[in-house]
Amino acid sequence: MNQWLDERLHISRLNDKFLRKAFPVHHSFFLGEITLFSLIILILTGILLALSYEPSNSLVVNSFDPGTTDAPNLIPAAYHSALKINAQPFGDMLRRIHHWTANIMVAASVLHMMRIYFTGAFKKPREINWWIGMLLLIFTALTAVTGYVLPYDNYAYNTLQVIYGIAGSIPWVGEWVAQAAFAGKFPGDGIIPRVYGYHIMLLPGILLALTGAHMLLMIKQKHTQPQYAKRVAYKKIVGVPLMGQQTPIMLLLTFAFAGIIVLFSAFIPVHPVEYFGPPSTTPINNIKPDWYLLWVFGVLAIIPSFEFHLLGGVIGSEFMGAIVVPTLAILAMFAVPMLDRSKENLYYAENPTNYPVRLGAGVAFMALLVVWSVAGYKPELISAGILTTANANTVLWIASFLVPALSYFAVQAIVRGIRSLRESDARDRANFQAADD
Amino acid sequence: MTRYKRQDPEMSRRRFINMAMGTTAAVGGVSLLSVLGAANPVFRLTRDKMPPLKGDILVHASNNKEGQPILLSELNEQLVRAWPMGKNENGENVIRKGDPNNLVALYRFPRGQIIQPTNLEVTIDGEVVAYSDICTHAGCTVADSDTRAGAMKCPCHSGEYDPKRAAIVVGGPPPRKLAQLPIAQQGQNIVVTGFFLTNPYGYSTEEEWESFTKEVEEQLA
Ligand code: FES
Repeated sequence: MNQWLDERLHISRLNDKFLRKAFPVHHSFFLGEITLFSLIILILTGILLALSYEPSNSLVVNSFDPGTTDAPNLIPAAYHSALKINAQPFGDMLRRIHHWTANIMVAASVLHMMRIYFTGAFKKPREINWWIGMLLLIFTALTAVTGYVLPYDNYAYNTLQVIYGIAGSIPWVGEWVAQAAFAGKFPGDGIIPRVYGYHIMLLPGILLALTGAHMLLMIKQKHTQPQYAKRVAYKKIVGVPLMGQQTPIMLLLTFAFAGIIVLFSAFIPVHPVEYFGPPSTTPINNIKPDWYLLWVFGVLAIIPSFEFHLLGGVIGSEFMGAIVVPTLAILAMFAVPMLDRSKENLYYAENPTNYPVRLGAGVAFMALLVVWSVAGYKPELISAGILTTANANTVLWIASFLVPALSYFAVQAIVRGIRSLRESDARDRANFQAADD
Repeated sequence: MTRYKRQDPEMSRRRFINMAMGTTAAVGGVSLLSVLGAANPVFRLTRDKMPPLKGDILVHASNNKEGQPILLSELNEQLVRAWPMGKNENGENVIRKGDPNNLVALYRFPRGQIIQPTNLEVTIDGEVVAYSDICTHAGCTVADSDTRAGAMKCPCHSGEYDPKRAAIVVGGPPPRKLAQLPIAQQGQNIVVTGFFLTNPYGYSTEEEWESFTKEVEEQLA
């Protein structure tokens, strides 16, 4: 049979090319794999959830609490189906797994990108894959946000309203964009079907296509080699082959990972739709986005109120905070490979401490995002008495400059420390050897 | 290498393919644009989506009392949310909650506390005042402040408004004050006496709001 298949599909070539692809042995190289496994788990649980979900925001009678015939208890069908899913055996569990995996996918991809950035793996020839990776990050976040909306409880409703508001804040074309994106004026009759389409067809399709491209390029260009490979066999690819050795490691990782997620989901509930209830006029106190978008939220919270008119368009704080600032941050990340002008192809992962400026800049950037995420807790900070309404913005703005700057210089100091240690080590060794001779 | 480039009178194959591809891409792009038009459904201004209108009665918006007319005695320094209730084409009552931005906030303060720049003429005895309850920032529903009594705070990005002074912005990112809604007392009921005085959320300029109110009036006439 092997031969039969081989004659038709040239399996042996595939074997040489792909299945024997060498995987570097280092735990930090698993982060990308975890992201991939998350995507697979998300698609599988997503399919199961889609089977019981009703993508419609038309009102139906709540079968759990029908009210009276004169005053029936009407709730949106999507919300009703979320309640029904929760009532199914393992339905709530399925939702939790889906939710937690989404969070982990974002977290793993962020860590994955940090690994790439700090070891210089974005350098020539891998720039394209860095950009594809950025797109993956953006579309992952978009997919997560659209998934947020689907249960259509009061929380989702409020979130959607803010997203609609943000889209609408784009000068000149905002209102049109918001209506085209969300099927009419908020909350149009078609809003849930529209977002559902995005969440289960459009965005996963984009994610899968990008993931395919990402991995093809990775196979073509090979992983960067970890430092030890230089010592083991210079300029040779060191690692374990996909078939035979990497596969069992991957399988182990998948099972361990899936197990951890299920364990997580068993004990930590997510987003209680019953608690928030169907969309209503009562606002939710201290509504917040998920942690990976908290920084955008923080910027919105500390940006001063302003609005100016330009050629018939309105530019406001909303547009600045929710669109301009994040776009700048994302552009800065896109630009990362362009700041490196090396002509050589990068072969070995670099030691971050040998590139203190890059290391410092990366840490400072992350520190900035952390400060802004803390700013997202501004209302809590004020109610807790740590800040006052009067000084909150000033304090947080100063922190936005100070903390990144301080972390940059702290990194430089630490790197210098590590270097001098390393040098004195080398000196000691040299002396020692000299004494030996 | 020849010194002269051969001048081929006919189009080269490469050039032809490039042009063909360009044309196809252009046609494809344009047709995609037409699809975008369809993504944005036509908006029909039905009565339940119209903004608070002259003659509407303010009714409770909270879940358990929805639709019951609001009595003056129910109001105090705590925000009470209301929907405008008007009539449809057949003269039946219709709560105008088809547009969630129609939500109204009602406050009652002791006489003398509501001050300029609030338009006192269209409050009830300078005691009861009504505003749009939708934050001008990103459209969240504004609530009572959790730290200061008699102040308003938006739970989304902590925008703050002062309901005693025309709901001007006193903190946070909102770009404009909340729009004041002219009201009057009529028997037991609170009735609306006109459109929002300034542009509420969703209308970034006064002109936009004015042209919208004109459209509403035309449709009603
Ligand atoms: S929506 Fe009210 S402050 Fe942003």
